[in-house]
Amino acid sequence: MRALIIDDSAVMRKVIERALRQSGIDFLEILQASNGEEALEILRGDTASTMKIGLIISDINMPVMDGLQFLEARRDQQLAVGVPVVMITTEGSEPFVLRAIAAGAQGYICKPFTAEQVKARVVPLLEAA
Amino acid sequence: MTVQQIQDLDWVGRLDSAVSEVFEMMLERDCAPTEKADIADPSISARILFSGSIHGECVLFASRTVAQVTAGVMLGAVSESDSPMIEDAIGELCNMIAGGWKSKLGSDEAICAISPPTISTHPTAEPGGFFEGGFRRFYCFEGHVFGVYMAF
Repeated sequence: MRALIIDDSAVMRKVIERALRQSGIDFLEILQASNGEEALEILRGDTASTMKIGLIISDINMPVMDGLQFLEARRDQQLAVGVPVVMITTEGSEPFVLRAIAAGAQGYICKPFTAEQVKARVVPLLEAA
Repeated sequence: MTVQQIQDLDWVGRLDSAVSEVFEMMLERDCAPTEKADIADPSISARILFSGSIHGECVLFASRTVAQVTAGVMLGAVSESDSPMIEDAIGELCNMIAGGWKSKLGSDEAICAISPPTISTHPTAEPGGFFEGGFRRFYCFEGHVFGVYMAF
């Protein structure tokens, strides 16, 4: 299983990576992007990979391309179709949550969060995928 | 925003609660308000802007040493004193505190956007000054003190 973490904070990417590693899922590789545009590039390159990305974790507030724009671009460009996306963000207000779900997010975690919360959201999505 | 309005809305209590939650969940540390208001070298700050139904700012300021300790706890490893991860960690901490504070507001008040954090490594003994009313709180975890200034 490969995963992609999208967050402009390198510290937060490491914190999320640690939470994923503690979830009990065997991640072979955890890729990282600092904004939505970088993430789209990774997904375009992933089409030829034998072991495709099976999970995407994304922040919302990011420079260049934010998490909601990323979700919409991913949907429009038909990239990583069927891959679960979980948003991890400080933006927990209803308009953001509804827009993220409409654009294809399956899970939503508000910062601050615990590793247990990440596990509780991610594991059922991967089991269902 | 007047002092009376801030008191009426319990925005200080909500900030205390947001800081405590962030430290408990992300750093697995207790963090409580302190009267100690002397930060020897407030050499790093992170600033978040609120825009929408609330216009204001949240500024977190700390010494480089406290910022370094905080980054180390978040990362689970000691950071070098000149590591860019220190600025990043303080920015993310401010982001989560501001977001946590916002989430505790009423639904009408909470319709506001949060900017990405802006980091400053210049002295920030007197943060703010862009808004008319605000408050400053100091917090302590394991003997390390930092401040949060909010203004509206």
